[in-house]
Amino acid sequence: MEKCKVIFYPEGKSVQIEKGKTILAAAISANIYINSSCGGEGVCGRCKVILKKGEVISQPSGRLTLEQRKQGYYLACQALVQSDLEVLIPPESRLDLDKLTQEEIDLRLKGLYAKAEEVDSVKSLEEGVFAHSPLATKLYLELPAPNHVDRISDLERLYRQIRKMNDIPVMQTGLVNIRRLGRLLRDSDWKVTVTLGKRNGTTEIVLIEPGDTSDKNFGFCFDIGTTTISTQLVDLNTKRILGTRATYNKQASYGSDIITRIICARQQDCLEKLHHAVIDSMNEMIQALIRDNNIDLNDVNCILCAGNTTMVHLLLRVDPTYIRREPYVPTANFVPTIRAAEAGIKINPRGLLFCLPGVSSYVGGDISAGVLSCGMYKEEEICMLIDIGTNGEIVLGNREFLISAAASAGPAFEGSGLSCGARAARGAIQKVTIDPKDFEVKYDVIRGGKAHGICGSGYIDIISCMLKTSLITKEGKFHQIKSNRLRQGDFGPEFIIAFRDEAETGSDIFITEGDIENIKRAKAAIFAAAAMLVKQMSLEFSDIKKVFIAGGFGTYIDVDNAVNIGLLPDIKRDRFIFVGNSSLAGARQVLLSHEAMKKIEEIARRITYLELSIEPSYMDEYMAAMFFPHTDSSRFVNVDI
Amino acid sequence: MGIELIYQKWSGKINEVTIGSESKAVKIGGQNSLPFLFKEGGLPNRPRIAFEIWDVPPQDWPDELRRPYGGVLEDVIKWAERCQEEYKAEIICVRLLGAHPDLGNKPSAEEARLVELLLQKVAVPLIILGCGDDQKDNELMPVCCQAARGKRCLVGSAVQDNYRTLTAAVLADGHNIIAESPIDINIAKQLNILISDMGLAQDRIVINPTVGALGYGLEYAYSIMERARLAALSGDKMLAMPFICFVGQESWRAKEAKALETEFPQWGPQRERGIIWEAATAVAFLQSGADILVMRHPESVNCVRDYINVNYQDVDS
Repeated sequence: MEKCKVIFYPEGKSVQIEKGKTILAAAISANIYINSSCGGEGVCGRCKVILKKGEVISQPSGRLTLEQRKQGYYLACQALVQSDLEVLIPPESRLDLDKLTQEEIDLRLKGLYAKAEEVDSVKSLEEGVFAHSPLATKLYLELPAPNHVDRISDLERLYRQIRKMNDIPVMQTGLVNIRRLGRLLRDSDWKVTVTLGKRNGTTEIVLIEPGDTSDKNFGFCFDIGTTTISTQLVDLNTKRILGTRATYNKQASYGSDIITRIICARQQDCLEKLHHAVIDSMNEMIQALIRDNNIDLNDVNCILCAGNTTMVHLLLRVDPTYIRREPYVPTANFVPTIRAAEAGIKINPRGLLFCLPGVSSYVGGDISAGVLSCGMYKEEEICMLIDIGTNGEIVLGNREFLISAAASAGPAFEGSGLSCGARAARGAIQKVTIDPKDFEVKYDVIRGGKAHGICGSGYIDIISCMLKTSLITKEGKFHQIKSNRLRQGDFGPEFIIAFRDEAETGSDIFITEGDIENIKRAKAAIFAAAAMLVKQMSLEFSDIKKVFIAGGFGTYIDVDNAVNIGLLPDIKRDRFIFVGNSSLAGARQVLLSHEAMKKIEEIARRITYLELSIEPSYMDEYMAAMFFPHTDSSRFVNVDI
Repeated sequence: MGIELIYQKWSGKINEVTIGSESKAVKIGGQNSLPFLFKEGGLPNRPRIAFEIWDVPPQDWPDELRRPYGGVLEDVIKWAERCQEEYKAEIICVRLLGAHPDLGNKPSAEEARLVELLLQKVAVPLIILGCGDDQKDNELMPVCCQAARGKRCLVGSAVQDNYRTLTAAVLADGHNIIAESPIDINIAKQLNILISDMGLAQDRIVINPTVGALGYGLEYAYSIMERARLAALSGDKMLAMPFICFVGQESWRAKEAKALETEFPQWGPQRERGIIWEAATAVAFLQSGADILVMRHPESVNCVRDYINVNYQDVDS
């Protein structure tokens, strides 16, 4: 097979690849990540690259304007390498793999618009509720040496000593540890540290080390999202959070939503690639955090993961195919504890990996964790948790009942599939206002500087403002107004949010009717799912006393605007509580408390799952929500648009 | 001991819409009860039947349907006069199909003159329908509305993707509008909101819910109409518009109405089949709340008219 050399700029990285493969494939082999929302189908147009030198074969694409084609733009997923190439990746096509800054992580965790005390109060609500009993505990033991009177075996001697300190009737130990035990105890003068791990109902001696290392006991909790992976390094002895990191899920190169990724996993080697993409991201984050905190990898004894069901399958390299086939049954919701090494996670080789239990194919452990961390499972009053992400998951209930549903909102709120969409990261436009008189636009850019796109909360603000200023109708079509911001584009009218001189990309940043339609669909899916749950329980939205809004995106949302467009129900605004990344918060609690683990298992079993795709009235609810704010305006009386 | 019947009382009421001007004006809607349930509420206006006529000779109408209009299909004015005089039409519905780019592309001004002429020759109220091509209709309908200014016609059809031009024209020249939705209660309501948002009064809107003939989705259309009507009677003002049902166009498309006797001898005489099909479809939609039935064959019209009269005879006496 003939090989070609492809050089990517601005990095200057080069890679050898078989002739006929796509530029996208070459980029992935070169460890350069390019946006690819559709998973290489050629429909999303987000993988644009500029060909500087060389020859490719490419299908014509409506995603490239004539001007762009003249400038040498191609879609990386459609361009087949025919010769040695030099390719420039423009900034807008780049999946910025740099770690998110601490500032951004704080924003994600706290919520930008939320008042700090609200978040704190929610967090403190559950913080400290569960007794401190981490999933991995270290005990320093000074064993009495055996003699003619005290002749019990080494292993029983160890157990006896442990039981003097803890009430653990059943313990198990791996053969590896037993083989080493005799020598180890004698060499260390009977002074050892044992690491005890909770494993599927019993306690395992995970590790035996010479001397006293009991002060070095660390763990990681992870939230594995479809778009973002977040983690915290926790000192299991002191409960202190030593550091937080978030990064994009490298799986994004294989498609931006879980369905595309499940389909992708069916292709040859793709399950392997998806698996590696996620563990690579996780290992990189672990490495960075232990380096920053001067911690030895061997002192990291457990990992706890909260993720949607598909993400957990891919993490464990379990085929997720059946998740998307009727009747939508996953391989496992309750995953037994395994060694982290079995999944390819690099911590102490004997360290354990826990996955939080999920409810169904589309309501995963991240949601169980959310329910745990917001505390709704023990509330007397009726609460709702809305986790807005690529999938919108909703849980309704209190201490008596919990019912959940998942709506495939699509990635619109994460900025994907929109003409100028961006993830909520550096350079994204948010907090937008439009002047009702002259339609002038004001906005913020995340972390300042020039804008390169609009993030989900930016779109919510824009659409809400456009409704209030009568720029668009309630179905999301532009009125004819006089403004230099409204122009006729290739796909109908479009409204310019930032002119090219304000944009990092050098082109106008705008919103089209198609974008509004996409957002409308996403918000309709989430609202309809929430409405279905409420109806299922014969309740009204007004019966809900607390609505917890979670998700990487959920932290940026402006409540009034979100109600204006009909994403959130029209109830008293002070009932909305931002919980930021509730999945990560729940995961941390479980990491630090075996009691919380028992509780979350109970929660996952308690949550009933309502499969919306087989509910005949869901489609009707969805169609009714396909309007701003809603076809049934009596449900949105406190909205003035 | 007698049994006391329980009557349902509704909080909502269907808007009363006036079509046409002066003495021949027709009122529809205005009820606060389900069809024919006279004891439950007021049914001030009986359902009306409109005769459908075209500005070009129909090519695909079966012979049986052409027969009652022998000699006038080529001349829409004469056709209208026959409907009015011979068949006692209460409303006439003219479809300006000849303006369609594929069917003659008649200039808008010519169609506007035709509308003017029809209004001179025909005393009963007029329903004016465009050709179905959005672009052409957006040019055609404003001039036709202008030509009929003040005559309070019923003009259609506004659809979700193309309602603004027509609404503006109807608003300017004082007509009523047909808001058409694809058998979808939500879209029906959304379109009513959008049209009202442009400033047209709610009692100037008539819903075309889109129907199917007997055997061709009638049940589905029926249930959508029923749901919308129940919502309206329960107080939903944005669904409280009368219904117009295009029964003729649907029924005469049915295989049962068109198939030749030689093909299906067991189906009985072709002469009767289409008429029965149209009448049966129409009667079904009377039950789901139709306020105007747009029909084609005079014999099926007679049949349905008799049905209405029988049911209203207590009111009449």
